[in-house]
Amino acid sequence: MNKGRSGESLERKTARWGWFFVAPGVLFFSAFSLYPILNAFWTSFFNKKLLSLKPPKFIGLDNYGKVLSSPDFWNSVGATAIFAAGAFVPMFLLSLLFAVLVTSRTRWRRGIQMALYSPAVLSSVVAALIWLLMFDPRGLANQMANALMRTPGIDHKWLADATMVRISTIVVYVWKYVGYFTILFVTGIGKIPQSVNEAAVIDGANAFQRFFRITLPLLKPTTVLVSVMILIQCLKTFSTQYLFTQRGAPLGPINVLTLNIYNTALRDQNLGRASVMAVLLFAFMLLLSWTQIRFSRSGELES
Amino acid sequence: MRRSRAFSFPAVAFSSLTWVILLSAAAVIFVPIAFMAGASLMNSADIMQMPYGWLPRSPKWANFLQALAGNDGQWIFPRNILNSLVVSLSIAASTVFLSALTGYGLAKFRFRGRNTVFMGIMATMMIPFETVMIPLYIIIVRLGLQNSYGGLILPFLMNAFGVFLMRQYLLSFPSEMLDAARIDGCSEPRIFFSIVFKNAGPAAATLAILAFRQQWDNLLWPLLVAQSEEMKTIPAYIVKFAAEKSSDEGAMMAVAAIASLPVFALFLTLSKYFLGGASVYSAGKE
Repeated sequence: MNKGRSGESLERKTARWGWFFVAPGVLFFSAFSLYPILNAFWTSFFNKKLLSLKPPKFIGLDNYGKVLSSPDFWNSVGATAIFAAGAFVPMFLLSLLFAVLVTSRTRWRRGIQMALYSPAVLSSVVAALIWLLMFDPRGLANQMANALMRTPGIDHKWLADATMVRISTIVVYVWKYVGYFTILFVTGIGKIPQSVNEAAVIDGANAFQRFFRITLPLLKPTTVLVSVMILIQCLKTFSTQYLFTQRGAPLGPINVLTLNIYNTALRDQNLGRASVMAVLLFAFMLLLSWTQIRFSRSGELES
Repeated sequence: MRRSRAFSFPAVAFSSLTWVILLSAAAVIFVPIAFMAGASLMNSADIMQMPYGWLPRSPKWANFLQALAGNDGQWIFPRNILNSLVVSLSIAASTVFLSALTGYGLAKFRFRGRNTVFMGIMATMMIPFETVMIPLYIIIVRLGLQNSYGGLILPFLMNAFGVFLMRQYLLSFPSEMLDAARIDGCSEPRIFFSIVFKNAGPAAATLAILAFRQQWDNLLWPLLVAQSEEMKTIPAYIVKFAAEKSSDEGAMMAVAAIASLPVFALFLTLSKYFLGGASVYSAGKE
């Protein structure tokens, strides 16, 4: 009896200390994550102006209707989709290729990983700034493209033409992040037991068979994870597009959702509509994360 | 028999092809960085010259002077560099400390609601910053913290990923050591500071570097919060400098080089935490 009681009090004591250590975190996330996300939903139902003293007016789903029927919003959805798709394919394929090649070597492995990773160390703004100069009509990008395609003296209008400026932002992004995702794939490949591969070598499987029949299926959790991370990363792109438009690139083709949210809130001071776009962006990312969790669970069950 | 032998012709061809692809990829990826380094010491006529000469003919250090002084000669960039250092370092320190505190509570104590707290914090990882930035901005304005270090730092004091990382790390921390200290009459806060926090080294380093880099790179939040030139951070200064028509190309690359020096220095000395940090992240998300 006595013993039981002292055990109970010890339990209560550790519980109290547990809450003591956790409390700052709980407070922080309540104030700076939970409250803001609820507030974003709430604001999306109001006609609210930034820095306005008038009390915001409840207008129900009006903001949603306005946003969903505005060509500007759909242009942003299109710009974001083109950017995400255009960056996803090369980023995914190249990082997988580099990772497979890097892990097949033992020499200079770290050095090559570091070289591939180095752009990820730079700030996004610095990356965009470097490419801004290379994309200048007299810059390096034109010279290299012309040397490769044997078309001397042609200006490809990297920052002026609607299609080209989309390609330019994609180039910056793929360049900056391909090394980062390579490292993620390298880690994933490192988790595949070596014995499976060795057994396949003994059975006479060639490198291609080993890649498609062994590495790729066993890499599925990493593949799903990296795909979702690339997509989420692409949806959050802001710095490159912001800097390029600040230097006079056309806004329309690269007016991605994040840039539109920023401009709607800060330039137009329309917080209600900015919140609608922010909420829709959140919903879409949630869907992506959910897909990832679902797929990686099913991967675990299979293996 | 299709069995591959060590020195068969296809194997050698395959291996050299691998090297060709890897080395050219590394070289191509490195080109823009080399361009930045070279162009930061060239005059603008040489940067925009066809064909491009990679090395500066005679290093033009005046670019760096102009980068620091600005086009208006107000010397605002050094202040912005200081701001970036203050903000990034404070956030790195507070992230490590507060994440360790919360992670310790979640890893080593049993209490009702513990799982709810943990899952709740993990769920916030899914919230994109773009969705909450306006409500956060209004909080900062209400607190009267716009255009101050407090406003730049407060929303990033800690993050969910840090809590996750610290909890995972501390789960494997020997509980016997904690119990022994309790029997010796050590108070709980002292156990945390002198035993747990002191031994959180590798996880703390990974997390600190991650938090530092994120803030060094942060453009969106300072654009909202820092209204005056004095309170801007490096990314915001870069955008402003690049948008000015009178900016010299060489000086622009000098700005970029100055902004990159600290992170590159970290990268070259502590590369294992960078490469490891990337993979830790994937482990966390799986």
